[in-house]
Amino acid sequence: MEKELWPRNEADLCIRCAACMAICPVSRVTPLFPGPKQAGPGAQRFRRPDEPSMDPWIDLCIGCQLCDMVCAAGVPISELNLIAKAKYLDEKGRPLRDWLLTHTHLFGSLGSMFSPIVNFFLKNRAFRWLLDVTFQIDRRRVLPAYESPTFRQWFRQHRSQGEKKVAYFYGCFTNTNEVDVGKATVEVLEANGFEVVLPRQQCCGIPMLGNGNFRGAHKIGAKNVPPLLEAVRSGMEVVFSSTSCGHMIRHEYDHLLHLEGAKEVSSHLFDLMEFLRNLHESGHLRSPFQKTPLKVAYFAPCHLKSLGIGFPTLHILRLVPGLSVENVEAHCCGLGGTFGFKKEKYDISEEIGRDLARALSAIEPDTVLSECEGCRMQIRHLTGLRTLHPIQLLRDALSR
Amino acid sequence: MHFDLIVIGMGLTGLMAAKTAAERKKKVLLIGKGFGTLTLFSNTIDLMGILPEEVPVKESLPLWIEEHPDHPYGKVGMEKIEEALSSFLSFFPPPYTFQSRNGANSLVPTGAGTLRPTYLIPSTMMKGIGLREKKALIVGFKGYKDFYPHRFSDLFRCRAMTVDLEEAHGAEVSATTLARWMEEPSFRQRLTEGIKKEWKGEPLLGFPALLGLRDPMVVRRDLEKRTGASIFEIPVLPPSMPGMRIFNTFREKLIRMGVTFLLGQSVSRLLLRGDRCEGVEVAHAPLVNTYTGERILLATGRFIGGGLRADSSRIEEPLLGLPVTQPPSREGWFEEAFFASSGHPVHRAGVVVDSMFRPLNEGGKPIFENVWVAGTILAHHDSLYEKSKEGIEIATGYTAALKALGG
Repeated sequence: MEKELWPRNEADLCIRCAACMAICPVSRVTPLFPGPKQAGPGAQRFRRPDEPSMDPWIDLCIGCQLCDMVCAAGVPISELNLIAKAKYLDEKGRPLRDWLLTHTHLFGSLGSMFSPIVNFFLKNRAFRWLLDVTFQIDRRRVLPAYESPTFRQWFRQHRSQGEKKVAYFYGCFTNTNEVDVGKATVEVLEANGFEVVLPRQQCCGIPMLGNGNFRGAHKIGAKNVPPLLEAVRSGMEVVFSSTSCGHMIRHEYDHLLHLEGAKEVSSHLFDLMEFLRNLHESGHLRSPFQKTPLKVAYFAPCHLKSLGIGFPTLHILRLVPGLSVENVEAHCCGLGGTFGFKKEKYDISEEIGRDLARALSAIEPDTVLSECEGCRMQIRHLTGLRTLHPIQLLRDALSR
Repeated sequence: MHFDLIVIGMGLTGLMAAKTAAERKKKVLLIGKGFGTLTLFSNTIDLMGILPEEVPVKESLPLWIEEHPDHPYGKVGMEKIEEALSSFLSFFPPPYTFQSRNGANSLVPTGAGTLRPTYLIPSTMMKGIGLREKKALIVGFKGYKDFYPHRFSDLFRCRAMTVDLEEAHGAEVSATTLARWMEEPSFRQRLTEGIKKEWKGEPLLGFPALLGLRDPMVVRRDLEKRTGASIFEIPVLPPSMPGMRIFNTFREKLIRMGVTFLLGQSVSRLLLRGDRCEGVEVAHAPLVNTYTGERILLATGRFIGGGLRADSSRIEEPLLGLPVTQPPSREGWFEEAFFASSGHPVHRAGVVVDSMFRPLNEGGKPIFENVWVAGTILAHHDSLYEKSKEGIEIATGYTAALKALGG
């Protein structure tokens, strides 16, 4: 971490009001994390770039950014935590486990190619036990299965047609693990007259950033910006279906990673549901939906909330006749990207998720919708309920 | 996006204004840069705490208003104040609701060991009224530093105990952690066992106000069943769980009503054209998002919320640069005594509005055609001294929204 990246001393904006303590999902479930007030601006006053880190608990910040959202004083709490986490891990050293969890994009296509064998191992108890004891990847966590062909391979056979081009950042998980999310996105966009284009892309880098690896995230982000910029400069808007990838590119690429050209990309980059809502607002949403008599629960991911665009999914879902939509009143799902896979954090992750599971059991939905693959994974894991990206439901509701 | 009404500020004022407009089928954007002070200070609903406890406020408040025509209540009027309060209460049907005792103020015991006059009291606090005449055991928690049961019990001449919780592992525990544990039946069982060790049959048990966030009445009823005692909550230091309950209830219902709810976003600039405000700009690095609206309602609060800003000599309203009525110089801000009996003049500073809640310039003319101002940012009240904060927020948030919608 370079010293010039250190933030201004914004810790002094904190008035110690404790609003962040009222929302932090981690400190709510464990006394091991002192909470955002103490971990962020509190400890920040004692941190010096040239002195060793004194924050062994900083790694427990899950990075949900909910504290930033409720702070009326404008303290960038999660950012202070992230930078402190980076320093702590830089000094302490990162386990091989963290490298594995943040580099899954490197073996995604292999996983997809050999998916029958790979999936056998991922499900296998003995293999999971092995991961647990050798790498501290918790054996209770179900590892996501790979699919074949990948979304990109499927798209190559698919001829997208439309009056206007739109670029799509699908993210690794859609590409190799939930291909149908990508297919549904393409179908709904095409139903609205768009030709879908896939710019060259790789992992957005959020797993690395979340683990305090600024250098790795910067390196990977620098590869994503040029193709996206090219799409933007040729007059296309870019949509993303994963709110975590989207938040990373839209906000962190410029703000935290200072990637050249990122700002220009940001202003043409839209959350998929936000894009559809904007179409609806301007009277251009074409797809009249057919009657869909289902009861769904919608869970807004943390990174959707920190995009600051409201709840566009609720807006669009309300257009589907017969659909009963309940917004789930719970904060953070607790998975936190790679957080919930780590053995020493699994219990915290599950405990945070229990509040969400409880809220869901009160709703008793047919299906749970969320834009974030992590949230969907956690919801399936804790409740066994069927989960979908909202775009999959919209695709199914398209009148044809 | 384009809205019928843009409400800036997510405190109780903004929440009430958004509710009022959404109930009238308006398309509403509610935008707030953080939790309002609701989640910090609000436990009960103050209306005018300085009025006597013996007289129903329905009788005493109109007389007080007559003597203070400049007060925000003077612009709302008694009829609309009552309407606004019932609108607020419609979000809180029993069992967890708010009520007054005989329509008058009552004295609620606080975590500081004082008695505080207030008007509407959450159901979980009702049994604490008249505590001095009762026999009670006050329960605190080891590691929870925001409530000291023994200080409280010394002042109220009752007994106190501190429960040592196994699950705290000897560390500090926060209010939210305790509130969450309280929702677990198994936790309540262990807690009851812990209490029974020191309980001498007192008919009343007092807890800091953290009997759960979602269903405090379920938590209370269950604890009453397990212990056989009556239970009440005591309002304590921030964050306020009763305030969180209010905020969460509004958020849930407003989102269901289709209000566009932007928490954590701060308005960086208003788009002005002539005497109209056409929308707001929201900076979210590296982007600036623009939202346009027919009407803008400013409910940004006072100093903590950022609605008013003070440097060493002047107080200003930072968003629109509205005139702020204030003492002529800093020397006039404070009385000499910290607990001055009439309050400090600085607290009466604020934005002056007409009877329609439109901000006025120094010449007494409305500055904008489509901007309304409500809540504690208004001038000519001292909610700290009067104990009128929530009342002003509810009454003016409701009324200003009605005026903005032409009602």
